[in-house]
Amino acid sequence: MSLTYVIKEGVSGFRRTRLASITSIVALTIAVLLVGLMARFGYNGYEVVQTMKESIEVEVFLLDIDSGRTDRIAADLQSYPIVTETEYVSKDKAEEIFREEFGAEGESLADLNFLPASYRLHLTPDANAKEIREMVAEVEQFQGVDEVVFNQELLETLEERLELLTMAGIGIGLFILFTAIVLVFNTIRLTIYAKRNIIRTMKLVGATNGFIRRPFLLEGLIQGAIAAAIANGLHWLLFHLVIPYYIPQFGVLSWPMGEWYYLTGGMVLLSLIMGLWGSRWAARKFISQTAIG
Amino acid sequence: MADRPVITFQNITVQFDGRSIFRNVDFTLERGEFAYLIGATGSGKSSFLKLIYRDLIPDEGTVHVAGINVTALKERHVPELRRSLGIVFQDFQLLPDRNIYDNVAFALEVTGKRRGVIKQRVLEVLSMVGLSHRRNNMPDDLSGGEQQRVVIARALANEPQLMLADEPTGNLDPEAAHSIMDLFKQINNRGMAVLMVTHNYDMVKRYPYRTVKIQDENIIDVGM
Repeated sequence: MSLTYVIKEGVSGFRRTRLASITSIVALTIAVLLVGLMARFGYNGYEVVQTMKESIEVEVFLLDIDSGRTDRIAADLQSYPIVTETEYVSKDKAEEIFREEFGAEGESLADLNFLPASYRLHLTPDANAKEIREMVAEVEQFQGVDEVVFNQELLETLEERLELLTMAGIGIGLFILFTAIVLVFNTIRLTIYAKRNIIRTMKLVGATNGFIRRPFLLEGLIQGAIAAAIANGLHWLLFHLVIPYYIPQFGVLSWPMGEWYYLTGGMVLLSLIMGLWGSRWAARKFISQTAIG
Repeated sequence: MADRPVITFQNITVQFDGRSIFRNVDFTLERGEFAYLIGATGSGKSSFLKLIYRDLIPDEGTVHVAGINVTALKERHVPELRRSLGIVFQDFQLLPDRNIYDNVAFALEVTGKRRGVIKQRVLEVLSMVGLSHRRNNMPDDLSGGEQQRVVIARALANEPQLMLADEPTGNLDPEAAHSIMDLFKQINNRGMAVLMVTHNYDMVKRYPYRTVKIQDENIIDVGM
């Protein structure tokens, strides 16, 4: 089959149902833009949560034990995969910290020797509350450990919110994408209806359904490509001009995975797939239903 | 193989929307034969043709066309069957946004033929129907008779063994209708079988060929 034929027919179909095509381009643009916005905001939200999680420390308070036992506890703590660093806080250091934090009030206490030595554990950002709880339960059983403290409530709240936002994002995203695909489907259905006599003729002379279908698929791809270009343009304008101007404290939010081309490429790909999928769905359904006689 | 009829209906029964159209119909059209198909409006003439080009599948019986068992044909092979037939309708069905040359060439493009082969064959069939000089015109520039000639040229492009015509002169004035009938006669004289649905009994008298009538869900051979 000639490529010229596919391009010519694909473009002519686009022209024939201009209004419907514009409708589906607008729908695709909105869908892809919204998904892009959700991805960018979601990624930045995720980064904030990860930073907050990194700041969560687990403090392991020790009994009065000898240095050999203290070192063995350090070695045991480092054997946990979620522990990235163990920082020893001696009794003297604890006293110093106390005095810094409580100032004059701390100075009034004559003897701060009751403050225990401890280990501060830094954890990997992907450590979840369940893993930390399990580790804490085990560490509490270590000989020489008095108490283990960490901000479980904050961590659980962060995890719950992140999960909720992820689920809501996926749900809304899928709904938006489905709506856009239905609109593309409808546009291609109208194009097929407008070209039903030509389709009849094609079938009459022995064209295969695949041959007849290809221009419609190209039409869907054209819609997807135009929508991708507009959505990416709007996305760039919003994040690089509008938000920094009106909400300067946000600055320019970072691109997912640090580079612009991942999200931009993803949006282009998504738009093309939706355009192709919607048109393929309609073409498969309606071309085979078009009778000759 | 050479003597096998170009169309064979065996025990065909068709029901549509709860109404019986054909009941136990047998029919054959020999190679190179010309036959008219007549009958009252709604008697099933177009359905008869649809059975041949596989736009309709019988409830019972088998249809063989040009050696192909049409009833058992898989959907993906239907285009191959249609390429072996020439089909002409009353309403022309030309592509309005292509010129005459491209309309005829289209029948060959879908088969994936090379451009050089297409050009040679298109000029050949346009010359056969007397329209070489009109090849760059658009369909709307042509009279009804000329448009029907283009359709016939397109039907001939793939060198079919059988030409199906559904009231090909129905939209034409008497003069154009006669010239189209002369063309079909020439095509038949070259050895191609023709099955033509018609209501035009004057034409049947003027160009006498075997005539088959659809009546009471069956086929009656009414002779010449």
